[in-house]
Amino acid sequence: MSSVVVLDNGGGLIKAGYGGERDPSTIIPNCLYRPLSSKKFLHPTPTTEEDLTSAAVRRPIDRGYLINPDLQRDIWNHLFSNLLHINPSNSSLLLTEPLFSLPSIERATDELVFEDFGFNSLFISDPPKLVHLYEASRRPYGLVSKAQCSLVVDCGFSFTHAAPVFQNFTLNYGVKRIDLGGKALTNFLKELVSYRSVSVMDESFIMDDVKEKLCFVSLDVARDLKIARRRGNDNFFRCTYVLPDGVTHTKGFVKDPDEAKKYLTVDDGAYLETRKDMDRTEIMDRKKVDLTKNEFDLTNERFLVPEMIFHPADLGMNQAGLAECIVRAVNSCHPLLHPLLYQSIILTGGSTLFPRFAERLEMELRPLVPDDYQVKITTQEDPILGVWRGGSLLASSPDFEAMCVTKAEYEELGSARCRRRFFH
Amino acid sequence: MEDDVSNPFRRMSMRTRKIAPKMAAALASNDNRTQAAIARLEALENDYTGMETVEAVDDDEASLDDDDDVEENVLRYIEGVEVFCVCVICLCLPLSFYLLVPVIYSNASSVLARQASVYIQKKQKGTKRKTRQAKALENARKAPRNFLELLHEANLEALPPHIPSYLRAAVGPPSSTCRRHFCTVCGFTSNYTCAKCGMRFCSIRCQKIHDDTRCQKFVA
Repeated sequence: MSSVVVLDNGGGLIKAGYGGERDPSTIIPNCLYRPLSSKKFLHPTPTTEEDLTSAAVRRPIDRGYLINPDLQRDIWNHLFSNLLHINPSNSSLLLTEPLFSLPSIERATDELVFEDFGFNSLFISDPPKLVHLYEASRRPYGLVSKAQCSLVVDCGFSFTHAAPVFQNFTLNYGVKRIDLGGKALTNFLKELVSYRSVSVMDESFIMDDVKEKLCFVSLDVARDLKIARRRGNDNFFRCTYVLPDGVTHTKGFVKDPDEAKKYLTVDDGAYLETRKDMDRTEIMDRKKVDLTKNEFDLTNERFLVPEMIFHPADLGMNQAGLAECIVRAVNSCHPLLHPLLYQSIILTGGSTLFPRFAERLEMELRPLVPDDYQVKITTQEDPILGVWRGGSLLASSPDFEAMCVTKAEYEELGSARCRRRFFH
Repeated sequence: MEDDVSNPFRRMSMRTRKIAPKMAAALASNDNRTQAAIARLEALENDYTGMETVEAVDDDEASLDDDDDVEENVLRYIEGVEVFCVCVICLCLPLSFYLLVPVIYSNASSVLARQASVYIQKKQKGTKRKTRQAKALENARKAPRNFLELLHEANLEALPPHIPSYLRAAVGPPSSTCRRHFCTVCGFTSNYTCAKCGMRFCSIRCQKIHDDTRCQKFVA
């Protein structure tokens, strides 16, 4: 009996484990990095304690697609032999590949799987399908599993997809994509902070951390901008992040976690009370931040960065926002599916982890959807692992082996013809 | 600048101006604002890969065998010997008219020569491995470096319009063209546009900062 390896090969993180289990056994960044202390590019480990200040990064994936198979081979090799401890020649692989992969990339992937690693058999799946599968199995009597149809909004590292799924198949003519994901947001944050306070253009890992800890989605941008403009204690959004100094701490941290949580009080109406005694607390100077201590303040950046997913036009991109993207994805499907799709929107992907992402999306989506349709947005309990869990489920299903392409078939038919089996 | 292009017979100042080549290239294009905007968007997908030159050196190191280490050791050893010889020679210089020193010197120099010849041999072997052709081939193998090149190679425009593809899956332009503008300096809503470069700012204070730090520096 061969084991099935489930590999969600994301642009940011690789989620890998054995089919049938609930959680992946390894999650590592899909990159090699070179810290300042090292001359060579190193493999990341799950429990990294290294100083990642100014570490250079090389990623095999660009804009969501595999462009550097050599680098990917290197990373997978490390993954299979050192972290998962499997022997590819007697195991099957379930691999995720983004939608609309190019033939040349598919060929490179197949070569990697069969010729370089020699896997027994391979199944390629697109992520939305797996997310749908997982959600349908979690709630067997819910709408998603009864209607066998859902709209998966996958806001990941490289891009954002809104994909209608019907009867476990992604309707590829309905898929819409925004070319904006976590990576672009991190880089945008980097750009803002570098211009306004400290140069952090080299600090990908640190800025990722800043983004994850401090950014949130605003429910009312105009109001929040006004609040962010205030001085002193009335500014609920100001928050200080301390950069690592390399001596006492090698990881950056939020200076005052309570301060970082303050934005939550804004919606409770607390901001109206403090507004009156605004003049009294105006003693603190704006230039309070001490640059020698290597820390910087964030105010409006905290919500303007995730804001770009909802309005890419603000960034100068000629693309519609997420709400409109969903509407277009739904509209390109059969009209009978529309109410079902709007009622079963599933949010997945790491970039949906920004606080209040779902609320904001619903707020924006509701005016765009016809009145008589309900809008229901489901969030996953762990959006990063949603795809992997679906894959694990699929891998443990009894007819999984029959769906795979075996090595012998690949050798006989070649990449392109084997790919037809996966219908995308 | 655009006047110059439209009217070539206009009398121009004969003063030679020194402009950085990148700046000249940017100024030569008619629509450099859009180009700058596109470049900025492109940059959002970039990784910080460290210094390019350093990386190239690293790659070479990784591709070579252990011989390199030997080479390096030999090199270091030779340096050591050399230093030692020089010291010996310096110390013994007053005596160098007498018998003793030429012997040592000749010994040392012969050792040196032998080592050096070893080193040269090794070095030649090392350089031989990296011929231009091999390098060109290697580069050609690595050639499609980013996704956009691969996309161009795949020629998706040639597909019939009913087949969904990467290009057709893009969400397309927003229905309303109204764009909110944020001040590039402080991030608040901005009402003003820089007349020179088209970036936004919200107040005179921000304008000053913009002029000092960012205005028309987008090519550098």
